[in-house]
Amino acid sequence: MANLVSTIRFSDPYFSILLLLIIAVGMSVGFVFLSQALGPKRYERIKYSVYECGVDPFTSASVRVSVKFYLVALLFILFDLETAFLYPWAVLFRDLGLFGFLEMAIFVGILLVGLIYAWKKGALDWQ
Amino acid sequence: MSLGNLASLPYFLPEFAVTATILLLIVVHVAGRNRRSPAAALLAMVGTGSALFFAWMTPAGAGTGLFEGMVVLDGFAVFFKVLTALATLIVVFMSIDCYELTDKSQAEYYIFLLSVLLGMFLLSSASDIVMLYLALELVSIPSYLLAGYLKGKDLSNEASTKYVVYGATASGVMIYGFSLLYGMTGSTQISVIGNALASGTSALPALLAAVMVTVGFGYKIAAVPFHMWSPDVYEGAPIPVTAFLSVGPKAAGFAILVRFFYTVFASPEGAEGMWKLSSSVDWPFLFAVLSAVTMTVGNLVAINQSNVKRLLAYSSIAHAGYMMMGFVLLTSVGLKAILFYLIVYLFMNLGAFYVVVLVANGSRSEEISDFSGLGTRAPLAAVSLAVFLFALTGIPPFSGFIGKVYLFAEVINRGVYWLALVAALNSVVSLYYYARIVKVMFLEEPVHTGELTVAFVPRVMLAILVVPTLLFGVYWEPVIRIAESSVRLLTN
Amino acid sequence: MIRYAYIIPFLPLLSFFVNLAVGKRLPRKGDWVSLATIGAGLVMSIVIFFEVFRIYDPNFRYHVVVPWLSLEGRFVINAGILVDNLTAVMLVVVTGVSFLVHLFSVGYMHGDPKYSRFFAYLSVFSFSMLGLVLAESFFFIYIFWELVGFSSYALIGFWFEKKSAADAGKKAFIVNRIGDFGFLIGFLLLFATTGVLGYDEVFRGIAEGKIEGTLLTLAGIGIFCGAIGKSAQFPLHVWLPDAMEGPTPVSALIHAATMVAAGVYLVGRVYPIFTPDAFLFIAYTGLLTLFITATIALTATDIKKVLAYSTCSQLGYMILGLGVGGFTAGLAHLTTHAAFKACLFLGSGSVIHAVHSQEITEMGALRKKMPITFITFLIATLSIAGVPLFSGFYSKDMILKSALLFGMKNPQHMILFAGALLTAGMTAYYMFRLVIRTFLGEPKDRHKFDHAHESPPNMWVPLVVLAGLSFSFWYSGWFGDLVKTPASAIPAVHAVPASAGSADSVLHVPSAGAAFAAESAEPKGAGHEPAAHAAAASERPGTPGHAVPAPQGEKHPPAVPHEAAPGAEAGGHGASHEAHLDHLAHVWSMYLSVLFGTLGIGLAFVVFRFRWIDPEKVATAVRPVHTFLLNKWYFDELYEATAVNGTKALSRALGWFDLYVVDGLVNLCAQLGVWASFLIGKFDNHVVDGAVNGVADVTIGSGSFFRRFQTGKLYHYVFVLAGGVLIIFLVKAF
Repeated sequence: MANLVSTIRFSDPYFSILLLLIIAVGMSVGFVFLSQALGPKRYERIKYSVYECGVDPFTSASVRVSVKFYLVALLFILFDLETAFLYPWAVLFRDLGLFGFLEMAIFVGILLVGLIYAWKKGALDWQ
Repeated sequence: MSLGNLASLPYFLPEFAVTATILLLIVVHVAGRNRRSPAAALLAMVGTGSALFFAWMTPAGAGTGLFEGMVVLDGFAVFFKVLTALATLIVVFMSIDCYELTDKSQAEYYIFLLSVLLGMFLLSSASDIVMLYLALELVSIPSYLLAGYLKGKDLSNEASTKYVVYGATASGVMIYGFSLLYGMTGSTQISVIGNALASGTSALPALLAAVMVTVGFGYKIAAVPFHMWSPDVYEGAPIPVTAFLSVGPKAAGFAILVRFFYTVFASPEGAEGMWKLSSSVDWPFLFAVLSAVTMTVGNLVAINQSNVKRLLAYSSIAHAGYMMMGFVLLTSVGLKAILFYLIVYLFMNLGAFYVVVLVANGSRSEEISDFSGLGTRAPLAAVSLAVFLFALTGIPPFSGFIGKVYLFAEVINRGVYWLALVAALNSVVSLYYYARIVKVMFLEEPVHTGELTVAFVPRVMLAILVVPTLLFGVYWEPVIRIAESSVRLLTN
Repeated sequence: MIRYAYIIPFLPLLSFFVNLAVGKRLPRKGDWVSLATIGAGLVMSIVIFFEVFRIYDPNFRYHVVVPWLSLEGRFVINAGILVDNLTAVMLVVVTGVSFLVHLFSVGYMHGDPKYSRFFAYLSVFSFSMLGLVLAESFFFIYIFWELVGFSSYALIGFWFEKKSAADAGKKAFIVNRIGDFGFLIGFLLLFATTGVLGYDEVFRGIAEGKIEGTLLTLAGIGIFCGAIGKSAQFPLHVWLPDAMEGPTPVSALIHAATMVAAGVYLVGRVYPIFTPDAFLFIAYTGLLTLFITATIALTATDIKKVLAYSTCSQLGYMILGLGVGGFTAGLAHLTTHAAFKACLFLGSGSVIHAVHSQEITEMGALRKKMPITFITFLIATLSIAGVPLFSGFYSKDMILKSALLFGMKNPQHMILFAGALLTAGMTAYYMFRLVIRTFLGEPKDRHKFDHAHESPPNMWVPLVVLAGLSFSFWYSGWFGDLVKTPASAIPAVHAVPASAGSADSVLHVPSAGAAFAAESAEPKGAGHEPAAHAAAASERPGTPGHAVPAPQGEKHPPAVPHEAAPGAEAGGHGASHEAHLDHLAHVWSMYLSVLFGTLGIGLAFVVFRFRWIDPEKVATAVRPVHTFLLNKWYFDELYEATAVNGTKALSRALGWFDLYVVDGLVNLCAQLGVWASFLIGKFDNHVVDGAVNGVADVTIGSGSFFRRFQTGKLYHYVFVLAGGVLIIFLVKAF
């Protein structure tokens, strides 16, 4: 099999992507390795502590973010997309007739079941 | 030829069955207020059973594209739908008895399980890369949830986390490959992509795309070097989930692997059932190497395992390696061998896991030492497990042997002798760790004294799994016919 | 019913599973399951036999085949059955003896803790043996061959708590394995050259010349090695006497009737592949076996050991018979031997059961206490000694005749006949020695004698049945007609010359394998075989008692001249000469065998029966019998001093030879390891063992090595993923 590298033509639009890939990967990997290889290795406890504008850190850095933010975001995305689908449907509602109505009814119905599920599971409770 | 949306609906019955069951399960779960009730399990069984039935009854319209070419319905797809539905049904039975799942409302569990099934249905028949990605995610994401189902158990959470991150990475790489393909050819239909690539395009991006897509599919079938998630996930997940993951998504992964590569990077040639490479990407050799590496790593690492689930995880990695042998040959005979192997593998592997469930119910752990003296404590389970393990090794007169015969025969027929040699050596190595369990069962004193009672229903289940394993080693004619007819219809 | 013959093996298989799984919990521990299945098999076999008998065609053949494993038609393994006259007989023999042994075991094994497992093993053995008999390809006969070996291992070592029994089981299996190795090589040779596995196809391949000459001889000898192992021929006969550690019903089943017969059956089944040289090898192996083991039996005192050596000897007869071209003779002896040897073993079991000892030195006068056992044992002994009217005479006489005829045509091989004849006398002698010392005379151990009693009916009924079958009228006539020598598959081998004594007639063995070639009806090759062959052959239906050969095969090719084929010769001159030779051989062999038999029996009586006249002196002299007789009975002393004394010394020497050299040779496999490691020592340990261990270590080590990659850290996993992508891509791109 012919050497694939020889098939690279500089005029190929993908060539720029290849170049980008090489440079990006190369630089990021390179910097990390270079700093590890060339830098002095002296362990000081302070070096590994968290930076808080020069003040001594007074709380632990790993603050637990409440999962309810995530849940809200997730639900938002789901129903926002549902709404997004509703818009074009609404515009063409007349032309789609009964079939269109039924189809959207089923779609909304499925999501409704999901909503009821989320509701009953307590995902909508803020506490 | 592809049907429009409305016309495609009648062909979509299995998926409808699954979807309806999922929705009903949600209702049951919500109405049941988190209590344990048999309704969920029953509903899941009925739903899966009806999906299996519909899948089996699908009229064999060769190569009908559905939903404007998103999904194709051919014998190949039907085969995998039936296979995955059957696997799911057996796992549903397995889950009912499992101690790990008893103190929870099981409806959610079945919801996830059936969602994976729906994904597998779509994955088996996907013919568009967008649908492919969607189906793959639909298989993966509920699997993440299933792996982490035992919220109280550290291992389960760990399994789930690793699965999510790894799966996301692999999917990401894969979709980037898809985007390259779209960019090169301007279409998302895999058949169109295949034709476009065949007429000669820049080879390097095609190769990059192929490699990246391999990442995604390889991750799904746990091929080396994309297998590292599976031991941890298999170990942490509840046992029925592990059983399910080792058979269902793996089979679906193979389905899409075959379909994708044979359509996009190869084209039918000359005599019936032969393909040739259509782009300059020499993926068969790549996969042959991957197959050899996968088998070897899977078998070698399994030697040192003391946890039965981890051992079976590595063993299923190795079996994926064996199955990949048939994939690289570009003939329908090789595909037929893969399909046959998947059928017997389903019974062997699910059977082995089922016995693990039964033993773990008694001893609450899955170490090999828990199996000691099983021959005296629970002879039926012990003998069944011995049958499954020897079948997995590939010893006659069990079905695993015949499966391997077909794979080996085609590999040797195509002249890829080195691969056959590697596979043969690997089979020998695998005998060690399988036989070690058998030895512990029959030749060692029980650590846990007292009989392990196996109720009637599990006995029936065991019989249902053992009988094909024994039978197909002696008389497998119908099975190979099914495999043959399923392959014949792929080329469309 | 012939169509359903394939069901017969599966009946005992069913019993095997049932007895193994739930036997302990069944009423009567499940012996009736075994009995019922083998009984059903027996009934079916008898029906099949009668159907075949009604057809009464020497060329009868029912052969049905289905493709079992077919790899795109390139390589096909077929499964199927073959039923011909021989098969029908074997089916009855195997199921019949097996059924009687099952019945006997109900009594004999009563109370044994592993009772149901015993029946399970008996059943699986029956299954294996029946499968072997019905098989129609080398592939399947080999599978069942191995299964028989395994079953016999399980049965011989049944009382494995006793170390000697466990060792005997292992020895049987391992010695068999050595023979099987030869079998494997032989049949792989055939497969490699002809590319097929079924009997007929292989024969056709040979006829087409795909394998010939030395290679074919080697293949034949290889396959015969399997028979050497399984049928306890010299030098692999060492397992059989040790196998007496198994329960007596096992000895009856395995060593009398079936398993050891498997080797003989195999030789008969694949008869067409043997070259003249292979036949010679077979014949001489038979001769050595029958002679050596008979001499050992002369001095043995354990009743089962005597019978064991006697079995080896009779098997030698069968093999000899087959080797000299007496196909019908060898197989007839197999059939008759099954009946009378099983009777003898079961009779001995009855005696052992009554007396709780196996030493004939502790027995005597048992005929008073166990009349039924005595009568049946006597009948069976008369049969094995070759007394006319009994079945043993019929078959042994045929063998002797074949050997004599062979010797007449090839005088350099007359020793085959001489040895066989002499041993016939020895056989009569030691068998009657056994009878006399066990059943006649005075009891040696009063205590045991008082406790002795006749066995219960479920033990003596089989004895009666088997003894009843030990008369020649059961077999004469139809056996010779139906079981005929198959035509050789070897093309153009020495066609029978027109006149006896022609220069190129080196060996008078089967030839003209045109029966299996696709084409012409004329055999190729030297000689002048006219079409008169075909005419002559069709005119002569077999005469009773003579093995008139006729070819097997659907077509009607010319007759295959085999040993003395009267009439199937070119020209009248040759035909009558053959007939004359045949007749001569028959007459001489008959007279000589009766003579030697009588001598043997007479000698036994003289030596052992004369205790009547001088009991104490004979009692003390039984052991140093030669010294006593030398002093008192001049006639016998002469015989003793010269023949018996010499033979006893020879027997001891041969026994020593057998025990130390031959057994030692077999143990050499293990010994070599010790000696080699002693001599080579560290070299062996580090290099050879090291290599073996090294492979294992490397495997486990690489397992450990690869295992370390599984660090558990997720970013490592992803790193490997990325690395994998990079490596694959780079490798493919450059």
